[in-house]
Amino acid sequence: MDGIQFEGTVVECLRNATFRVELVNGHKVLAHISGKMRKNYIKVLPEDRVLVEVSPYDLTRGRILFRYRN
Amino acid sequence: MDSVVTQVSERHWHALGDDRVVGRGEASRRPDGRLFLSIDAWQETAFDRLAGAMLTQLPKPLYTVVDEADLDLLTSWERIGFAPRRREWEYVVPTGPGAAPPPAGVTIIAAGEADEGRLRALDQDIRDEVEATVGWHNMPAEVLVRPLLDPAAFTVAERSGDYVGLVRVAPLPRQPRIGLIAVRKDLRRRGIARALLAEVLRSAHRRGIATASADVHQSNAAAVALFEGAGARRAGSNLELVLR
Repeated sequence: MDGIQFEGTVVECLRNATFRVELVNGHKVLAHISGKMRKNYIKVLPEDRVLVEVSPYDLTRGRILFRYRN
Repeated sequence: MDSVVTQVSERHWHALGDDRVVGRGEASRRPDGRLFLSIDAWQETAFDRLAGAMLTQLPKPLYTVVDEADLDLLTSWERIGFAPRRREWEYVVPTGPGAAPPPAGVTIIAAGEADEGRLRALDQDIRDEVEATVGWHNMPAEVLVRPLLDPAAFTVAERSGDYVGLVRVAPLPRQPRIGLIAVRKDLRRRGIARALLAEVLRSAHRRGIATASADVHQSNAAAVALFEGAGARRAGSNLELVLR
């Protein structure tokens, strides 16, 4: 999507299937896992490095698009 | 905000609003032939428009997977007619140094030490047994692709020279995933699976790993009892939804 993408690190798993992610620029966002990741049973844990797309409508929200392997 | 949906390829749709992509939809077919959808949109209107476009193009039945705790997304799918078909528990299993002795006459072969040919034969026998009963489409860890048979991923139970049970572990960093644990039908309820599980949890513990994960179909009472008996706790659940 046209939201801005950042790398980040998952710092906390929250309720409602959301994750607190600290982006490389220091901002923290609440993010869901993308539907494609969910469909493929890709799990996310605290300390995982991820690629996040930040919502253009709310810069505190995002979507995890990719989980890096290390 | 108003959005317009465009099909950008055979299996991909975009919702466009204010000259930007505000939602994406994708359809993908699993090896068992079923068509699964995913939709990511920042707003409900874009979700509904994407869904409307995809549903008119694609043959039913259609499926999707949602985290049951994601109530907003679950509501969105239910609003367009999808209904729960099955639930898979996500378990987190603590590792530990404890062992569960196998029953008399059974030995546990550590990961990477099993004979590949015999392991392949056991894997095929177990697959045939599952296919003849619940079917592989009901096994959470197997629905995407049939994993390559890598002996390093398997811990095996042997009895009287025959391989009789196995557990496969995907070596994910920090939290390995228990993808399959199975024992030949005529040798179940003797503690073989418990011994296999204890061995992989002990092995992970030795490597400094605190937990493993496993997905279990809610109706699989034997697997639920096995994991909960090992101290596993439910960390969440996935719902498979269907639109018929």
